Amino acid sequence: MKNELTVGFIGNPNCGKTTLFNAYTGAKLKVANWPGVTVEKKEGVFCYHQHNYKLVDLPGIYSLTSYTLEEKLSRRYILEGDVDVIINVVDASCLERNLFLTLQLIELGKPVVLALNMMDIVEERGMEIDLHRLPEMLGIPVVPVCARKKKGIDVLMHTVSHHQDKPIGALEHQHAKGDHCHDHHSEYPIVYSDKIEDLIDAVTERICAANKNIINHRWYALKVLEHDSEIMEELNIDFSDIVPHSLEKEIINQKYDFIEEIIAEVLMNKEKKQQMTDKIDLFLTHPIWGMPIFFGIMALIFFLTFSVGDLLAEWFSFLIDGVSSAISTGLDLISVAPWLKSLIVDGIIAGVGGILTFLPNIFILFLCLSFLEDSGYMSRVAYVMDSLMGRIGLSGRAFIPMLLGFGCTVPALMAARTLENKSDKLRTILVTPFMSCSARLPVYVLFSQMFFPKNAMLVAYSMYIIGPVVAIIAALIMWLFTGKEKKPALLIELPEYKTPNGRSIAIYVWEKVKDYLTKAGTTIFIASVILWFLLNFNFTGLCDMNESFAASIGKLLSPVMKPVGLSQWQIVVALISGIAAKEVVVSSCGVLFGIPNINSAAGIASFGAILTGMGFTGLNAFCLMLFCLLYSPCAAAIATLGREANSQKWAVFSVVYQTGIAWLVSFLVFQIGSLF
Amino acid sequence: MTLFEAQPGKKYLVKKLDMEEKIERRLEALGLTENSMIELLSCKRGGAMIVKIRGTRFALGKEICQAIYLWGDNNEK
Repeated sequence: MKNELTVGFIGNPNCGKTTLFNAYTGAKLKVANWPGVTVEKKEGVFCYHQHNYKLVDLPGIYSLTSYTLEEKLSRRYILEGDVDVIINVVDASCLERNLFLTLQLIELGKPVVLALNMMDIVEERGMEIDLHRLPEMLGIPVVPVCARKKKGIDVLMHTVSHHQDKPIGALEHQHAKGDHCHDHHSEYPIVYSDKIEDLIDAVTERICAANKNIINHRWYALKVLEHDSEIMEELNIDFSDIVPHSLEKEIINQKYDFIEEIIAEVLMNKEKKQQMTDKIDLFLTHPIWGMPIFFGIMALIFFLTFSVGDLLAEWFSFLIDGVSSAISTGLDLISVAPWLKSLIVDGIIAGVGGILTFLPNIFILFLCLSFLEDSGYMSRVAYVMDSLMGRIGLSGRAFIPMLLGFGCTVPALMAARTLENKSDKLRTILVTPFMSCSARLPVYVLFSQMFFPKNAMLVAYSMYIIGPVVAIIAALIMWLFTGKEKKPALLIELPEYKTPNGRSIAIYVWEKVKDYLTKAGTTIFIASVILWFLLNFNFTGLCDMNESFAASIGKLLSPVMKPVGLSQWQIVVALISGIAAKEVVVSSCGVLFGIPNINSAAGIASFGAILTGMGFTGLNAFCLMLFCLLYSPCAAAIATLGREANSQKWAVFSVVYQTGIAWLVSFLVFQIGSLF
Repeated sequence: MTLFEAQPGKKYLVKKLDMEEKIERRLEALGLTENSMIELLSCKRGGAMIVKIRGTRFALGKEICQAIYLWGDNNEK
């Protein structure tokens, strides 16, 4: 027995692989209710009965062909990587469609254990699955589990440890159709028609003759029959006399014929109960009301973010105020050097402390987004937005990354991986940063309260409308430039609606809050310290703020920013530092203008007074918000963009063109606004 | 007739698929094989449709719906 067993989790998208993976490893990977949440292979370790298991969570796939990127990656990983046992996670409530992949996995020739997930839903719906008959027909062990409630997971791992050397167990089944002369029925769960079986034999013979180092001949033979490009290339043998054309269609059909036989025998009370999902869909995917309802939901999310978030933020800022004044008094008591006190109070507390007060807003926003993602509504959004996205040559599916962009641009860019067409993917990636992410929220909250106290929410709202509008126009222009390529067809699974799961929401929101706190403790902390130095030093040493390094940089660029109403050197410096992370625009303002708790009533009043004294009006503030919304993505997003687009060229491009658009839009608004 | 001309709320049997091979095979792998049942749940002006194939709901774009050929109305058969 090997010391460490590698176990791969494979299954259809959205069947609960990651939930199961989390249940074993204690990892806190994101789970939600839409297909394509996991886009990267993740590994974890699990110890059971003194044995180590390396668990690998793979992106969901519907079949083992080589049509999509995820399919290719997952397939290659199982074939080449050292996966010892495959756990095929199956959504028991959609057994029929899930079994297709199961049959393909069994044909791969590696030990497979079937994990029947979501058994609770099956029971809820009054369905029953014959757990004795199913393994007899498939020849592999079947273990019912409930990943969400961590039920059956020990049994599953126990089965894995016992099954690692036996690809196919006892089979007790005769196919209804066909009477092949070979005695395959005791060897393989699925036996094809005589014509195909004969071809498999012929191809197998030729593969064996070529003496390739291959164990699972049957799978290779089937792939040759399907004219699978990757396998044909790998084998590099001429089969054109045996299989002149692809038999993939027949093979798929026969697999489904067999699945129908299985379903007929093992599934009882199919679809007895009226399904809740259909009732909800009547409203949410309504031909006319679908889109207004979606906009309404988004408006509600941002309303809650601003109203409830601001309410909580007030309490939060009291706390921060207390802490910062305590630190300040403490520093006086132990009489530290004035420069050090300045660094701590004017640099760190002003920067980091100021940013922490926005945590409640961020918390509410992510809480709402997690409800959206976990309920099953995300896929519906792709459907609802399909016609609108069609006008700019994208499928509704491209809207999912854009919608995720309201949370954070980095995972949103990664979600674009599920788009199949390269040019659609690139266009989606290039416009996603225009969607206003949570990091830009502090800028809106602060400046809209300061300059538009009566219409603060309305002004902040406008950013969430302008962002997507600019994104859509940009995507349209790119589409026209690339010669109006054919719109990719929408094809997405719509999962059942589920009551959002407390645990997955807690994981999701906690990870985001942790990210935010980490960012405050790292990026924002460092940016504040660096800024403090740049503000208090020049070549001659400690100096007046107006002659510092920062001031020189800001003043150098200020003429460029004058036409957009942002000529103050402090604002220019804040914007530059904002490329580190968008919240830094706000934290930098705290440092630049020496305001300790910028989001408190007192902070807003004193900051507002300083800005007004500089000739900064509501129009300037609006242009600042616009500029923050549209200009260069933050450092993390730039890096991700380069990676996802497979070229740093596009990362550089996005910085330049987004900053250009930001300048242009703010310029127009400022110049036209100045006329009145 | 094609799926595009079908009526919401009714079930049909698939006659054939006629589209780019790559998408055709994907749909077949999802269970939309010849003579399988497809139920049209809802559709909208833009042409996208929600269908149920072997117990699972899918949203399909207009281009795909227009390339799925059906045997006449199953309810009348």
